[in-house]
Amino acid sequence: MAFGFKRTIQSKGPNRFIINLREDLRQVIAAVCDDVLGALDDEEAPNRDPMLRRVFPIAHVSDESVNEAYRDLVHSDLLRTRREALEKVSATANDAELDRATLETWMIGLNTVRLVLGTRLDVSEDGFPQLEPDDPELPAWALYEFLGVFVGMVVDALARTA
Amino acid sequence: MTQPKAADVAPVEIDEPSIDTNLDIDRPWIVLVWNDPINLMSYVTYVLQKVFGYSRDKAESLMLDVHEKGRAVVSNGSKEKAELDVFRLHEHGLWATMQQD
Repeated sequence: MAFGFKRTIQSKGPNRFIINLREDLRQVIAAVCDDVLGALDDEEAPNRDPMLRRVFPIAHVSDESVNEAYRDLVHSDLLRTRREALEKVSATANDAELDRATLETWMIGLNTVRLVLGTRLDVSEDGFPQLEPDDPELPAWALYEFLGVFVGMVVDALARTA
Repeated sequence: MTQPKAADVAPVEIDEPSIDTNLDIDRPWIVLVWNDPINLMSYVTYVLQKVFGYSRDKAESLMLDVHEKGRAVVSNGSKEKAELDVFRLHEHGLWATMQQD
């Protein structure tokens, strides 16, 4: 049979998760993390690239002094933890089993990718738009949908074993 | 917020909350989470449970407030606590801000 169906994430208790993902989808997961890592190459990246605004949000809707103090306080930590999460997902993309901490890192890392891709696609609450088959945005939308479904599975696996 | 297979829902208008510019250091700060079209509803619930130790019921009810009303107050306290809470929510990709109550 060409396509077998198994639960994508099987939990074996709260700290052990079997990941049933095809090799090609694992490559996609590593590749999208590497892509976003490439965009986070230095401290100034968030100022340069508006697609990263959801990864480094402001802390106050209008008070620039609060925002400045917050940026000074956390920016390098936020950048470092983002990078570490994406590196970890990329490095473990081919693992057959993940412990809970690593699966949580997958959840956060892949959600970071969704934030960047969703910002790029200008996603709204309307969901998947009507696109022509030759629309250049179509592959990115398909990727965004795949990541949404997969992150949903990760969250479900973590929540049902919490 | 959205679901993996999102039903058609009307976009939620986000009104900027009125900001009191009278700075009173004794007044506590509140932390708000804003609705956004990218984060999954189940993800927001799980993050609120994990970051604040809220029960599933409380986290889900806050998430639904965010989804339906556009934002919800998820914590409050000193400025330092609010900054830490906002940071932890930002680490998880939630759209959080702080303001003096």
